[in-house]
Amino acid sequence: MSSSLFILDENLEPLVSKNIRALPNLSSVLSSFKQCYHDGSPPILSQNDWFFIHLKRDFLHFVSVIHTTDKPNIDLMTILAFLEQFYHLLQKYFEIEVLTKNVILDNILLVLELIDECIDFGIVQVTDPSIIKDYIRVKVNVPRVTVDNEEWSPGEESSSSSGSDSDSEYSNTNKRKDKKKKRKKKKGTKGKSVGKSNLKSIMVNNKENRGINVVETVKETLRNKNDTGKEAANDELPNDGNDLYINGDIAKTIIMPISWRTKGIHYAKNEFFLDVIERVQYLMDFEKGVIRKNLIHGEIVCRCYLSGMPKLKISINKILNRDPQFMSNSSFHQCVSLDSINTIEKEEEKNSDDDAGLQAATDAREIEFIPPDGEFVLCQYELKRHVKDAPMVRLKDFEIKPKLKKFKIQIVTKIQTNFKPTNSTSKLNVRIPLTKVFQEYKIDLSKQIRFKANIGKVVFNLSDDFLLWEIQTMKGHREHSTNKSSQYNSDEDDPNTCASMVAEFPLFNQEEYDRLQEEMKTSMNPPPLRTGPRLEELYRQVHDQQTSHVTPRDKLVNIDFEIPYCTCSGLKVEYLKVEEPQLQYQSFPWVRYKTVSDEEYAYIV
Amino acid sequence: MSDQKVFARYKANEIVTDLQHFGVKKFKSNITRRKNALRKIIANLVLGNYGEMSLLFSELLKFWQIEDDLEVKRICHEYIRVIGALKPQQAREALPFIMDDFKSRDEKLQIMALRTLVLVPVKELSDQAFDCIISLVNHKSPPEQVTRTAIYALLDLDEIDHERVLGLSSILHDIVKAQSSSPEVIVAALHTLYSIHEKNANMEPFRIPLELAFDMLELLPELNEWNKATVLEVLTTSVVPQHYLDTHEMIELALPYLQQVNTYVVLNSLKFIMYLLNYVDVIKETLAEKLSNSVIALLDKPPELQFLVLRNVILLLLSRESSLLRLDISYFFIEYNDPIYIKDTKLECLYLLANKETLPRILEELEQYATDIDIQMSRKSVRAIGNLAVKLDEDSVHDCVAVLLDLLEFGVDYVVQEIISVFRNILRKYPNNFKANVTELVKHTEVVQEPESKNAMIWIITQYSDVIPNYLELFRVFSSNMFSETLEVQFSILNSAIKFFIRSPTKETEELCMDLLKGCIDHENNPDLRDKTLMYWRLLSLTKTSRISNAITFESLKSVLDGELPLIEMNTKLDPTVLEELELNIGTIVSIYLKPVSHIFRLNKTKLLPQSPILNPNKDLLPVVGNSFPPTGANRDRQNSESQSSTKSRKTAMMDDYDKPAEKINQLKGKRKSSSNNPSKLSRKPSTLLRKLSMKRPFS
Repeated sequence: MSSSLFILDENLEPLVSKNIRALPNLSSVLSSFKQCYHDGSPPILSQNDWFFIHLKRDFLHFVSVIHTTDKPNIDLMTILAFLEQFYHLLQKYFEIEVLTKNVILDNILLVLELIDECIDFGIVQVTDPSIIKDYIRVKVNVPRVTVDNEEWSPGEESSSSSGSDSDSEYSNTNKRKDKKKKRKKKKGTKGKSVGKSNLKSIMVNNKENRGINVVETVKETLRNKNDTGKEAANDELPNDGNDLYINGDIAKTIIMPISWRTKGIHYAKNEFFLDVIERVQYLMDFEKGVIRKNLIHGEIVCRCYLSGMPKLKISINKILNRDPQFMSNSSFHQCVSLDSINTIEKEEEKNSDDDAGLQAATDAREIEFIPPDGEFVLCQYELKRHVKDAPMVRLKDFEIKPKLKKFKIQIVTKIQTNFKPTNSTSKLNVRIPLTKVFQEYKIDLSKQIRFKANIGKVVFNLSDDFLLWEIQTMKGHREHSTNKSSQYNSDEDDPNTCASMVAEFPLFNQEEYDRLQEEMKTSMNPPPLRTGPRLEELYRQVHDQQTSHVTPRDKLVNIDFEIPYCTCSGLKVEYLKVEEPQLQYQSFPWVRYKTVSDEEYAYIV
Repeated sequence: MSDQKVFARYKANEIVTDLQHFGVKKFKSNITRRKNALRKIIANLVLGNYGEMSLLFSELLKFWQIEDDLEVKRICHEYIRVIGALKPQQAREALPFIMDDFKSRDEKLQIMALRTLVLVPVKELSDQAFDCIISLVNHKSPPEQVTRTAIYALLDLDEIDHERVLGLSSILHDIVKAQSSSPEVIVAALHTLYSIHEKNANMEPFRIPLELAFDMLELLPELNEWNKATVLEVLTTSVVPQHYLDTHEMIELALPYLQQVNTYVVLNSLKFIMYLLNYVDVIKETLAEKLSNSVIALLDKPPELQFLVLRNVILLLLSRESSLLRLDISYFFIEYNDPIYIKDTKLECLYLLANKETLPRILEELEQYATDIDIQMSRKSVRAIGNLAVKLDEDSVHDCVAVLLDLLEFGVDYVVQEIISVFRNILRKYPNNFKANVTELVKHTEVVQEPESKNAMIWIITQYSDVIPNYLELFRVFSSNMFSETLEVQFSILNSAIKFFIRSPTKETEELCMDLLKGCIDHENNPDLRDKTLMYWRLLSLTKTSRISNAITFESLKSVLDGELPLIEMNTKLDPTVLEELELNIGTIVSIYLKPVSHIFRLNKTKLLPQSPILNPNKDLLPVVGNSFPPTGANRDRQNSESQSSTKSRKTAMMDDYDKPAEKINQLKGKRKSSSNNPSKLSRKPSTLLRKLSMKRPFS
């Protein structure tokens, strides 16, 4: 295992160093790391008998140092996996998306404590944020501005601490939204009476008095209302050690059989949120009509606000139907007892022999688990789509039509949706690269560029050479095999299902230019007044030095979309049962679906 | 509030003034100030300002006595851990305080104290640590957390005093056997035992009885992810199945963990299953499928982890004649935003995965990469195409060559040079198939600049002088500035000149040859080159005299200097013993370098498959589908016994060549004479050298 751990900033200066094996001179070790590290070097390096395993995340380097004589055969994957998990732990702890140097510097003791808690003499023990959060309750020292726990996706939901009024961004006029709003408010008022009396002594600062030092754990905000008696005394030292008090029960959770959930959790309203998010990765060679990639990366994200020790039963249609691809390409959270899924398969094998076991098999086709508290990823899966499966959003037509006689060049783009007509996209952006066009043709930017789109608006990015076609909402559409011709015609007209856009760039006209120059010389009139930005000059400024290459990216028409209430794979949660045998409360499970485009959803043109 | 002002170098006395405020009164502001001062100490320790900070020792001790705040305690312990290594005297002085903390009733403090005792390399402290651990163990109901830490601490203490730890190991054995403590503690004990056995060369490898292994496997669902992985790791090689049934049952138990989210768990269960597969009679098709799926799922991770997985994929692909894994090649296609190390590794995977069916797709991809903007990438992909041509059979080579010729038209310098280098290899394997293309190649004579492609070009010109009409003219491009070339190229030029002369002893060739020979002897300083030139000189003069003495004929000279070259082929795969060892080390650092452990860590034990009546003698014979294959019960004929690899000072010099393929072309340079079939020249490449070494020196 590691001899020491470092967190370094961009310039490889140490922010945190943790000496695990009492190495005598850490700074010399670090300098040998600096010697051998360069941008893009692989995650493992060796220099002067030291091995360095490093991860670069955000602007920070997480480095683990090992001496060659240290331990037989360094267990590389532990360390890499640990560094990765530790990064996520820090993210969760500080509740920010991007870790910065300052956050680490401000919380150096906390980071040291976290390392201490996670590893025992270099051996990883626990990295589950929800557990450690219960265990280590140090004030997180975060500037208020950066507090931002976006849970669903950027811009959709703002952090719970910044108030419940800002979440109206979720613009769908749907009853969903109401639900969500309700939930948001509930979060604020939800009381969480702590079961054990000694837990009550855990001081929680009141949100209003918090000042800049913020405790951001959701649970603690929830406790606010209960602990009104106490107030944060001091900005910097709010509760002087009280928050470090450990509840014996919580401390024990780590060594209990169910290590991911503490006892005595209580919520006034019991809710369980389940989000199925599918990222579709798609890459197609438009000219050749060859599909390079067609994959679905799915994730089931849950947020659990349930009291006691609830047992959840979820049935997913994929498991129910024993979709072989799903069964083999999914991985589950540690709380899911994998045996329950496996038994299904075993039964399946038995079933082929005798049909009597059929009943038993149908009973077992569900996932059963005791969820951890708070947010967690229940399941990740990756599915391949069949080549014949049409993409969710299809580039129907893409053509560059030079009209040399008119000194114009047209870029024609058409896209079509392919999902249930009842659904619609909440975001749809098409990015059309222009580098190639600009290289092959001489485009005269001093004249006006024209865009025509039957839906959405078009923006021209001058510096990076692309057009961004923003279509917010577009309805779903399914091609019917019957009366195809008439359907086709109506598609053309219907802007909801088939969007088309034409961008027209003027080409440089030498003759005209010469003529104008000539006229300018002879005529007494001042040159015609031009308003607006001079694009050609701006373009020249931006594209001054670099002789631009056509990178592979410049050949991709990227489509970026988001379709709520729909899964590309057809995955569906059949039912979701919450059972808590002791408390027997009423619970509210919410299920949502969403399909988004992966970073790579593009057509090569 | 931001603590950045804390993070600067301070002088000791600056901090002292802050600290001394505590005497006055317990004002809130003073507490704040003091804590800030303490934070400054930690920040300065991080910055490496040890000298100044060690002056604060006595101040800190004052705090230690009176404060019971955990944060302050934490700082004090951290301080001692850092300073203690540098100033043993101070650590000794702090010992009573540490013990006070250990005796407190707070588990957290106890753990902290115990860690400090172990981590500071001072004898008094380590002695105390032993005492503490013994007292803990004898305690009736010891707090579990502390026990766990204590058990892990033993591992560190083992380095200090092996004998004493050995004395305690029976207690650990009891904990593991009894299975009555909490699972965490059992895992800790198991891990410590395993590691102690691994670490000490003179100890037997750790073995677990079968029943215990089953107990542990059944315990798995209750453990957290890290412990699951630890158990699986320990069980690999520690448990020796005696019956096929046992093995199958264990595989069943380990199988679900291939579907975990945590990479570590997945790789460890993969390792465990791969290990067990040495002890089975048949492999089920579904199992192979599951293994492949879990590997593919792992590829969807952050790049660093992906790199690790890819390296292990290479290992798994190499390990069997026909790999167990069924991997679709599209997962290994390179994306433009992959880091360079991923690209390299994927390229190698593609190379290994290539066969007749997949070749067209792979070639198509490689051709794309070859026109990539990244120079390194395009070179490597050209090289990969060339290697594929040599690796695969004669049908496929035409496809590869067609792609290469396409790329030749692409006409970029580095691509052309690389193509010429790889073309030499292809011509070495298929000397007669591509004669027609040679003329195409030599058109690019002017372009080649790098030594390797120059060498290749010279070789091609020489070898195919019969199909190139103007070969001498082309050759003069190189020979005219021979004296400014690198040594390698000079050798090539010299060789070729001699060959030309031997083949057709005309006046022109003789003049060329003689000029070069004279030039080398007169102007060159390099002894190797001079020696070689002199050798040629004497050989040539021998033939002149031979007419009288009949010592050597022109024909025999020709056969010496310009003989038939043997066909090249790809280096055979890694040595089976090395592979076996690597397979037991899936996911460790060895898997990155694909080298035996003893090459990387000199002092380490190598893992071996333990003997068992059901150990498979040859895993390639293992049937994959479940038909009844009579297991050959014979023990494997192992040429190496359990002996510690001698610490022959094997430099870990070539550690950074993980980007080189594990399997590569045996590059016999054209200038070397094949007739003198001296094996030493074969071992110039690290991979062959490695094989040789590994044959000579058994890996125990």
